[in-house]
Amino acid sequence: MQKKDLGLLVLILVVGAITTALNPVFLSPVNLGNMANLVGLFGIFSIGIGVVIITGGIDLSVGSMFALIGVVFIDLMTNQGMAWQLVLPVAIGLGVAFGIIHGVLVTRFNMQPFVVTLCGLLIYRGAARYYMADATIGFGYAGGFDTLEWLASGRSFGVPHTFIAFVVVAIVMGIVLHRSVFGRYLFAVGKNEEAARYSGIPTSLVIASAYVISGALAGLAAVFLAFYTYSIQPSAHGNFYELYGIAAAVLGGCSLRGGEGSILGIALGTVLLQVLQNLVNLLGIPTSLNFAVMGTVILLGVLTDQQLQRRRARLLAVKAHQAKTASVQPARA
Amino acid sequence: MNHGVNAGATDDVNGERGGPGAAPFLGLVRIGKTYPGVTALADVGLEVARGEVVGLIGENGAGKSTLMKVLGGVVAPDSGHIEIDGMVHQALTVPQSLAAGIAFVHQELNLFENLDVAANIFIGREPRWGGPLRLIDRQVLYERTRPLLQRLKVDFDARTPVAALSIAQRQMVEIAKALSLDARLIIMDEPTSSLTVSETERLLDVIAELKAQGVAVIYITHRLNEVKDCADRVVCLRDGVVAGALTHDEIAHAAMIRLMIGRDLKALYTPPGCQPATGLEVQGLRTILFPDRAVDLEIRRGEILGLAGLIGSGRTELARALFGIDPPLAGTIRLDGAPITPATPRQAIARGIYLVPEDRKRSGLVLEFPVRVNVTLADLKSHAKAWLISGSREAETAERQKARLNIRTPSVDTEVVTLSGGNQQKVVLAKWLAMRPSVVVFDEPTRGIDVGAKSEIYAILRQLADAGVAILMISSDMEEVIGVSDRIAVMHEGRISGILDNRDSFTETNVLELAVNSPARTAA
Amino acid sequence: MIRRHALTLAAALLAGTFAIGPAAAQDKPVLAFVTNAAADFWTIGRAGVMQAGEELDGYTTEMHIVSEATAAEQRRIIDDLLTRGVAGITVSVIDPANSRDLLNRAASQAVLFTSDSDAADTDRLLYVGTDNVAAGEQAGELIKQSLPDGGKVMLFVGTMGAANAQERVQGIKNVLEGGNIEIIDIRTDEVDFARAKRNVEDTLTTYPDIDGLVGLWSYNTPQIVEAVKAAGKDGQVKIIGFDEDPVTLRGIADGIVDATVVQQPYEFGYQSMMLMAKVLDGDKSFIPEDGLMIIPTKVIDQSNVDEFRQEMQKLLAQ
Repeated sequence: MQKKDLGLLVLILVVGAITTALNPVFLSPVNLGNMANLVGLFGIFSIGIGVVIITGGIDLSVGSMFALIGVVFIDLMTNQGMAWQLVLPVAIGLGVAFGIIHGVLVTRFNMQPFVVTLCGLLIYRGAARYYMADATIGFGYAGGFDTLEWLASGRSFGVPHTFIAFVVVAIVMGIVLHRSVFGRYLFAVGKNEEAARYSGIPTSLVIASAYVISGALAGLAAVFLAFYTYSIQPSAHGNFYELYGIAAAVLGGCSLRGGEGSILGIALGTVLLQVLQNLVNLLGIPTSLNFAVMGTVILLGVLTDQQLQRRRARLLAVKAHQAKTASVQPARA
Repeated sequence: MNHGVNAGATDDVNGERGGPGAAPFLGLVRIGKTYPGVTALADVGLEVARGEVVGLIGENGAGKSTLMKVLGGVVAPDSGHIEIDGMVHQALTVPQSLAAGIAFVHQELNLFENLDVAANIFIGREPRWGGPLRLIDRQVLYERTRPLLQRLKVDFDARTPVAALSIAQRQMVEIAKALSLDARLIIMDEPTSSLTVSETERLLDVIAELKAQGVAVIYITHRLNEVKDCADRVVCLRDGVVAGALTHDEIAHAAMIRLMIGRDLKALYTPPGCQPATGLEVQGLRTILFPDRAVDLEIRRGEILGLAGLIGSGRTELARALFGIDPPLAGTIRLDGAPITPATPRQAIARGIYLVPEDRKRSGLVLEFPVRVNVTLADLKSHAKAWLISGSREAETAERQKARLNIRTPSVDTEVVTLSGGNQQKVVLAKWLAMRPSVVVFDEPTRGIDVGAKSEIYAILRQLADAGVAILMISSDMEEVIGVSDRIAVMHEGRISGILDNRDSFTETNVLELAVNSPARTAA
Repeated sequence: MIRRHALTLAAALLAGTFAIGPAAAQDKPVLAFVTNAAADFWTIGRAGVMQAGEELDGYTTEMHIVSEATAAEQRRIIDDLLTRGVAGITVSVIDPANSRDLLNRAASQAVLFTSDSDAADTDRLLYVGTDNVAAGEQAGELIKQSLPDGGKVMLFVGTMGAANAQERVQGIKNVLEGGNIEIIDIRTDEVDFARAKRNVEDTLTTYPDIDGLVGLWSYNTPQIVEAVKAAGKDGQVKIIGFDEDPVTLRGIADGIVDATVVQQPYEFGYQSMMLMAKVLDGDKSFIPEDGLMIIPTKVIDQSNVDEFRQEMQKLLAQ
């Protein structure tokens, strides 16, 4: 565990302790279950966004992807009566397809990730609304997908399946990012793309893969989210959710300049964001202040982290300086 | 030489040759500066008089830049002092330096391309009107700019956008900016490195005019002919000390070389330990920079082929083509007789063709990563089981390379950014040496590296060659090219202007001749 | 309702989101309806607008569903309509307090009605819609019926900035004031469904003994239903809603929701179009002194829910 992640964990524990002191319901199994469910929902796609951020890019399109993939998903299930075993791969496949498009535009056509995914945000939102002619779509009376419903919104041993899925995704991505060759490539490309290319790393492929991962995880999250709200209003579903993902990644130590971050950090960032929203409701803080509370905590968190890092860097530089002088002195003598 | 309005002054200075007669207004006295591991300056003294042109020469890393940074107020010396108009300063601050009338014309020009000439000259000091609104008084701005440009007799206007100017013209803008600051001393760092012959002549004219107007110039260059043309005096730095000074009458090519190098270039040389064999053959290679010139070159296994030439002669483009960064427009590359076409660095690396790039911080290393990660970055698959990186294998390779190349780092987990330039370069070498090189291209292998580390790197080059690797060493450092190479190829404007096969023919004159005075020059 | 074929796409691109193509729109004066959100509510309203269009020979009717529920978006649509020179506009005003100039300008260039959400202090000729205070009072009475012994209730709504939210709350408060039913708070969600649901979840955990939940906007009640079912509290907590989301109606049929107060968006669309045409034809005599044409709200409970659902399906199928 890096120092950064530890600091974040401490922050979560402090916020949690304060909330518990003010309202013990915070630690009740029901509340923890609800929170775990939301952590799972938001965590899955936050990890995807985090991976893109680590390569020095950004993915603004996931919120709109939820709307588009969500309406297609519900439509195919309820109105077209497709089997869920088919629809689920279609939903994730759509996310992968969008990811491929983003990746190709960013690497082949050298477009800026911000621009590409911003256009994605607009296009997918528009497509979702057009697909539904702005009407809300819900699962209604349709049946035949009880298994999927149970998988997506049920609980086992009191643990929401969204959370279990999130933990699985986090562990797999944690290994990929922090232990595998591909993960090392991701960090190298994010930190110094040119040096990575000069070291024989297929940088375009690596960067494009990050967008594909983000798209696939967004597709998966879209299914979970559809089963959370049970109905989707194409104009509002998932609005701003990409910002939750970016916020979680940044809180979790991802640098928007790329090359930094950890899966554990992103997971903890997601937890903190959800704890904050929960706290607003539990403590009876006016809901209108919700975003303000979140923004303030992110700001303070990142600010503190940077100050601590700067101090650490200064200490390191002094130490390196001493080490250098020490190692060189005998050679000169 | 010119017919300026101030003819009297011109005559006067031409008659006196400036400096020697006038009292110095600025003096650096016994300046010393040490960086961790490097003594950049020791006991350096330098005086400048009004209207004097001082040529400052010395090899890369001799301490010229540090000395000038002391003058600019960017670097505080550890010992010694600076005298300006009789006032003694332990160190200068940037504002003090500006106030003393010291101005810089940098190697990398610091201009805003999106603004016009006048805006660049007066950036940060714009004439204002409108009180609290702080609006720019454009009329005054242009009125003040025009006489400056007239003094330099330039062929562009105050309103010309800088983006539309050539490098030489931009340099004039920098000089105009210096004049606008009432500069008494203008320091020019390699001002002609990117200029054509006629542009260089024009700049030398301007320097003569500045001199006539009483402005002193410190002229830093590697081009000794220019020094001969314009300097009143030459000061030479070597390894952080003043190696010697030449008065105007003493300035001669051979004398300057002797001061700069101070030892026999060929003493560095160790002969190859094995018989050179066929390695990399390049035929008819054309690059984007010179699409109508073809390069033919053979780099043999077991030898170090030095590649000399001026900046912009196409050497770096050749290296980039071999390494698959910018695939060539035409031509064939053969490795051990078999044709290859590296389209990406990945493909080149797969063939055993490696590049040690010129800008190691940008292209050679991921600075924020530890030594271990940098060393294994190009060959991660050999350090992984089923795509998962094995930390122990990585550490093993890193430790082995650290010992082999004598990389001075507290640990292989130290971030590369904290290491000295020489050790950073060794990390780049370690990355490639951990693999199986067939051809290694070194682009300026010892730029910005101190003397001790340099000789270690030369030894590594020789070891590599003796192990049967073909080595292409691109270098602008004459000492290096002559001292280390088994053969020297010289490039001029996109083609090989000559190859020196015999070490007896390795002289600076011969190399420079090919780099500058080749028959192709008339085409320029 | 769902368009997914390339042909439909091309046709719809030509026609925009309107039902009638641009060629017809050029010929006849246009009557437009501008919504305050994109919801099923307005799908029903659209049916009324379209029905009026068919009945009116001399006019073309258009439905404009805002892409985002912001005042800026609505302003853009109204500006565009005025530029096009439409004859009449009916607006469900998103931000009445700050849209006065815009609406007065619209009133000076075309016949201006408001519907669903009013802007009383403007030059609009007529408000066609619900008296939301009265609807709130109706809901208040329903809460009283459901909780005869009193208790604690929580209200849920998208944003309290909207006039209809404020008025409904006012109506509920009018009835509950002084009684034994306490309103704990109002939770808002900025029309984010997931947040709407989590607001309910968090309310159920924070106040385990809560007695009633009231959804003020159409999607709030379905989210209440889902959250209450997930918490296993169906039956224990009384639910009163507004509007006619299918999940709400199913909830009533299943006995989870006690009742819902429904407006008649079909009538909003239909009446506003017909009456605007009447004004344009020169007849203003029907406009009452107070400028309010109240379409009464209806209470749907278990007794009439089946009948109402059939009616809805008929309207939506059009």
